[in-house]
Amino acid sequence: MSESLLGMPPGRVEADIGEAAVTLTVPGAVYPLPAVYAAAYCFIARCYVLVDRDGEDLRVVLTAKDPAGIHGGAQGLRALVGEFANELLASAWRREITRQNRGLIESVTMQAFGAAMGPPSLDDLEAFDFSDEPFDDPLGIAQSWEDKYRKPKPAGSEPGPEGGEEQGGA
Amino acid sequence: MILRFHREVYAGTAIDAALGRFAALASTRFDRSEDGDYFVVEVTAKTEARSRRVALELGNFALGLTIEQGGPDR
Repeated sequence: MSESLLGMPPGRVEADIGEAAVTLTVPGAVYPLPAVYAAAYCFIARCYVLVDRDGEDLRVVLTAKDPAGIHGGAQGLRALVGEFANELLASAWRREITRQNRGLIESVTMQAFGAAMGPPSLDDLEAFDFSDEPFDDPLGIAQSWEDKYRKPKPAGSEPGPEGGEEQGGA
Repeated sequence: MILRFHREVYAGTAIDAALGRFAALASTRFDRSEDGDYFVVEVTAKTEARSRRVALELGNFALGLTIEQGGPDR
């Protein structure tokens, strides 16, 4: 037997406590179908979810998979409806934010692809610092064996020719 | 138990895929038909309670597949 839940908008929420089921009427003008899908998907693990269209509105039936888990009957169903309504609002709002920022997202994405694909302009080349080191080598991995393990010259000795006696046999 | 899936909410291909998955259930019969804007599936099992449970699981499965494919068939 259906009855209204205390604290819920009249005519929007009907509960069937015996079946542990609740029916929400969602205004389609406020909550688009993708937002209802997103909220419903979150509840599929806990509830049996059926979505129906009623003119412009959508009707969502949530039936608890584990009626024993709905503590307190009407109170538990009220909590279930509240959670669904919160998820529905969050989904609708995320969708709205995405819609508002679509231009920005497309712009950033296009810039990223453009930078990866397009050749540099003459101005870019002119501004490029060719004198910069190609990469840092703090561990000396790119150093040759001779450079890395060269014996230190004794103090006061004459500098010999390059590649002279410092280079011992391996 | 009879399930009615609205065409603007559920994808017919998702319902077919769900029915394909549930077809292997023993002692359970699924009759699919159409009624105006609705796909209609009648689930018949040994007991009314089992019919209801299978029907509700089928509804969840069809809804999940519909959502994963991005909505109803175009």
